[in-house]
Order: sequence, then structure tokens, then C-alpha cells
Amino acid sequence: MESPGILATGVRRSFGNVHAVRDVTLEARPGAVTGLIGPNGSGKTTLLLMLASLLAPDAGSLRIGGIDPITDPAGVRAITGWMPDALGAWSSLTARETLVATGRLYDLDAATSAAGAARLLHEVGLTNLADAPARVFSRGQKQRLGLARALVHDPKVLLLDEPASGLDPQARVELRVLLRRLAAEGRTVLISSHILSELEEVVDEAVFLVDGATVSSDRVAAAASRRRTWRIRLADRDARAAVLPVAGVLGLDAALIPIDRRDLLVSFETDAGAAAALAALVGAGLPVAEFAAATGLLEHTFLDLEGGRS
Amino acid sequence: MNGARLWTIARLELTQRVRTVAWYVLLGIFALLLIGVTLLSFLAFGGWGTGGAGVFSAVVYVTLLLVLLVSPTLSGNSINGDRDAATLAPLQVTLATTGEILLGKFLAACITGLAFAAVAVPFLVIATLAGGVNGWAVVTSLVVLVVEVGIVAAIGVAISGILARPLFSVAVTYLIVAALSVGSVIGFGLVSTAAGSEFTSKNRSAEYNSNGEIVCKDGGHDCYGDTDQMVCGEWDSYTYRVPRPDRVWWLLSSNPFVILADATPTSFDRHGNPDDLFGWIKTAVRGAQSAPELQSTWDECDPQYLDGAEYRSGPTPEEIIATTVPSWFVGLGVQVLLAALLLWWAWTRTRTPARTLPPGTRIA
Repeated sequence: MESPGILATGVRRSFGNVHAVRDVTLEARPGAVTGLIGPNGSGKTTLLLMLASLLAPDAGSLRIGGIDPITDPAGVRAITGWMPDALGAWSSLTARETLVATGRLYDLDAATSAAGAARLLHEVGLTNLADAPARVFSRGQKQRLGLARALVHDPKVLLLDEPASGLDPQARVELRVLLRRLAAEGRTVLISSHILSELEEVVDEAVFLVDGATVSSDRVAAAASRRRTWRIRLADRDARAAVLPVAGVLGLDAALIPIDRRDLLVSFETDAGAAAALAALVGAGLPVAEFAAATGLLEHTFLDLEGGRS
Repeated sequence: MNGARLWTIARLELTQRVRTVAWYVLLGIFALLLIGVTLLSFLAFGGWGTGGAGVFSAVVYVTLLLVLLVSPTLSGNSINGDRDAATLAPLQVTLATTGEILLGKFLAACITGLAFAAVAVPFLVIATLAGGVNGWAVVTSLVVLVVEVGIVAAIGVAISGILARPLFSVAVTYLIVAALSVGSVIGFGLVSTAAGSEFTSKNRSAEYNSNGEIVCKDGGHDCYGDTDQMVCGEWDSYTYRVPRPDRVWWLLSSNPFVILADATPTSFDRHGNPDDLFGWIKTAVRGAQSAPELQSTWDECDPQYLDGAEYRSGPTPEEIIATTVPSWFVGLGVQVLLAALLLWWAWTRTRTPARTLPPGTRIA
């Protein structure tokens, strides 16, 4: 049985000599937020264009909610919301008009479109700009309008290309809450980004894309389990004063522990090693105020995969 | 094809246009231009009462000219301009089909062009009230004007879907419009001259003495008109090339101005002369259909010459139009076919999911 979410198998697409997507195989489950992570030029946008039924793959198969975007693009479009990375807004139309027109293009009747537009404007926090032309919008506001536009027809599958870029911290928190809610409603959410700290807090699963190819789960697992750095801060003294006691407890050479502003950077092979070190520090009576991985798991994995590439 | 989606796309285009100030400035300038044209035409066509038909045709022609000049700018970047502004892909991911997007933009471009015709309406009404306007001429010329607006709009939208760069597609749309309206005339002139024929002119005159008196066989000077007694000189013959418009007159048939003139029924005055611009242009174009005389003879010793029978005046415009064939439907057919082919090409270029992209473009 096919997954009702997103399923891509062996997808390939090139533009002339540029092999934008070489070999992508991924699955995104309904009810989960799947992150699509990769450096610039790794093929994220091209892949999303293919999933959004705008671009035909050279090879491989795609299924969105079980529908093939090549043979039945209209079927895919009816259940898919796509938010592009390029901010295209009809500059002299107001946010409300944009959403109503989009709704009409998804075959909603005028009343449903208008009601939906009002609801979405509220959801993305544009209610007080609802009747201002899009040309006066800031980048972040356009971004929110783009998100609302992708949600107009209550899609089962969401394809979001860099939705968080340009958003202020408050809007990012709201976006995170919104995405979690959309996933909880049973939708499939695929979100691409290279702001990894952003993704860390919202994605259930991550797909890594490097040089147009998805990275196998073994490689991801290997990259994720490699040595990571942790930040340690003691409550009662500054970093210079903390080096000696910490090094003493952990049995390290104090001269080799880097100091980053208020924190000490100590690396551990495994999570278990880090946990044991924390226990030892606390056991030695040191007032540990902060003990945290310096990089998120996604960022760590991403940087490791990137490093392995070059 | 879904009417609601089609109209939504057309409205998106139009809403954006009506909210730009430049658009109203353009319409205002056009209105000023028409005031001038109407006043001058009344002076040119004999004032209130009889000049109505002439003024009407002048206003329609100026409107057509303006639509031809402005429409490529307004429609010639509608698809690729949207792609550049990243507003095309958001349309393409909706349920709107490629055909609906193209036709919606075509519809919007048509309505934009018709806005110019709408500005001309008061002037057309004034011309009609002035009198002497044939009802059929009004209906036909306005229908042809509307169809021409549509054709230019279709060409502009199509080219903008075929070519990637907005600036380039606007230029190409202008070139196509110029090829139809100016190029066809230049081509007609060049080809009909290049493909010209030999014209032979033969002349013979009677002998005169140095006093300018006629020389008669009987030695007298009083035999003019008596061809038996007149002494005739040598035949003088020379040749030169004349253009053959009858071979290439069809080149003009897809010219928008010619189509407008040729399709509109003409009223004539009692001398057989047309009463409006359409009629005069139609006379000129239809006259090109008949083969020119390839020889002329002028013989003072020919009794028929002396009768004046051989040298009657040429046919009147009314006779020319009555004895030649109309070509406007062929020209219009060629234009419609061209526009339809270009639209189809644009459709294959804009279709999604896209297999090939025009070089140098990205889909979103």
C-alpha cells in the first residue's frame, strides 16, 4: 500500500548540464513535520517544485497522497499547498484580495473564499494589514502571506520552502506552533530550511540532501553519533576560573579546554559520556548552571555530512 | 476550462492595472489626442452635417493606431513578467490550467485595449450625430476594431509565454505588429517595383513647320483633323519599367488598417467618390488588384485620338471597388491563425509539470 503522505523514489532532474537533483528517495508521513535539510544548491527547491507538480522529473516516481503529479497534476494541486522560496506577491493587491483570488482559483465559492481569507489572515497575524497592498509589506509579512496562500484550500500536504526566513523571533515561534498544529491535524508537512536551530524544534524527522541526493539513514546515523561539543558554565565563577576545577573533575588537560565567552567547550564521544561527566561535575559539588550540546543534533549531523563532502 | 477561474485570472491582471496611475495618464493623453483629431477632421471633411463619416473613420483609425502602439507594452510581458516577479508559479499550482492562465491574461489584455476604444466612444457618437454616417459602416468598423484589439492582445500574451525575457518579448511583439502594419506596405512597394514589367510608349505626331503651322500633303496649312491630308512623323517608341502591384496586392491584405478599410461598407457621393477614409484606402488597395496598362499609344494621325474616344478618364472609386475582390477575410484569417499558433506555442512552453524550461528561466 502506498503512503498517503509524500513518497519519492529515485527522483532525478537536471537543467542542461546542471544536475540539480541526482537521486532523491524520501518519505514524509502524514501527521508529522519532515525537515528537508541541505546546503544552498543541494536541490531542495527543485525537489519541492517537482513535488508541487510544477516540474517534471527526468526519472523516478513521485506520489503525493498516493497521486502521481505527472499524470494527474490537478489531483495533486487540489490537496497540496506550496509556499515558494521566492516571494511573489501581486504588489497592488491587498492581502485579503490575494487570498480570496487564490481561493477562487482553487474552486472555492466567493463566500467560502472570503471567510477563509479572514480566518487565515488572523492565523498568520496579518489581520491589521489585511487591506494594505502587498507592496508595502516587509519580507516577513510577505512570507506570512505566502504561508496563508498555501493554506487557502485546506491542503492535506504542505510543501514549505524556507518558510522561516525573514520572520522575526515572535513570528518564528508562531510558525512553529502553527506547523505543529497542522501536523497534529493529520497533514503531511515537508519543510525545507537551512536554519537548523529552527528546524530542530519543529521537525519529527529529517531528510538530508547533499549534492542533489538524499543521504542514507546509515550515514545520517553515523554522522549524528560522532563526537559532539558541549557547553559548560558554572554559576559562581567566570569561564577562566572554571577551567581548572572542571578539568580536574573530568581528568582533562586544562590548557586544551577552549573558552567561548562565558562557557567552556568540552567534547564527548557519546551522549552517555556527556551524562557521566555531568554526574561527575555535580558529584564534585560544582555549581553547574549550564550543560548543553553546543550544536543541535541536526546542525551537528548537517555539518558533519557537509564536512564529509568537501 | 472553468469560467470562474478564467475570470479570476483576468481580474487579477486588470485589478493590478487599474491601480497604477500611469494607466490613467495614458488614457488621458489619448483623450486629448482624440479631441485634436476630431476637431481637425471636422475641418478636413467639410464640417458639421456632411463630414460625419469622415470624422468617424478618422477617430476609428486613430484608435486602432493607438491600440497597436500601446497594446504590445501592456500584453507583451504578461507571462514572463509574472515569472520574473515570481507570481506565475503561485497561479500554476492552483487548479487553474495553463489554458485558463493564458486565456485569462488574453482576456485582460483585450479589455485593456478596449478601454482605449471606450475613450473613443464619445467622439464616435459626436461624429455619428454630425450626420452622413452609414449604420453598417459603424457596426462593421467597430467589430473589426474589436477583433484587431483581440489579435494584438493574443500575439502579445503568446510571445510573452514563448520568450523568457520581458523586454525582448515586448520588442518582438512590436516587431510583429510593425511587420503587419508597416512592413506589409514596405514589402508591397518593394516587391511590386522589383517584379515590375516593361512599359512601352509609342508616339507619333503630325508634322509642323517652324511657324507651328501644320504641314499638309497639298502644301496648305489647314488640314488638321483630316488624317488623309496630314503629314505624319516617324513613330517614336521608348520603354521603361512600371511596378506590378497586381502581382502582390495580397501582401496588404493582412495589414490591420487595410482590413478595417476593406471590411467596412463604403458609401459614395454622386461622383462615385467615397465619403470616408475607409473608402479612400479601400479604393487605393483595391485599385492595386488590376493590372496596369503595359503600353500606351499616342498618335496624332489616328482619327480615334482626334475623336477623344481612346482617352476617356479612368474608372471612379465606386467602379474600382465594384469590379475588384474583397480580401479582408483572408487577411483577418491569416492574423487569427498566426495568433492561434503563437498561443498554442506559448501553451506548450508554459505547461506544467514542465519538462523543458525556456533557456535562462527558472520556474519559480
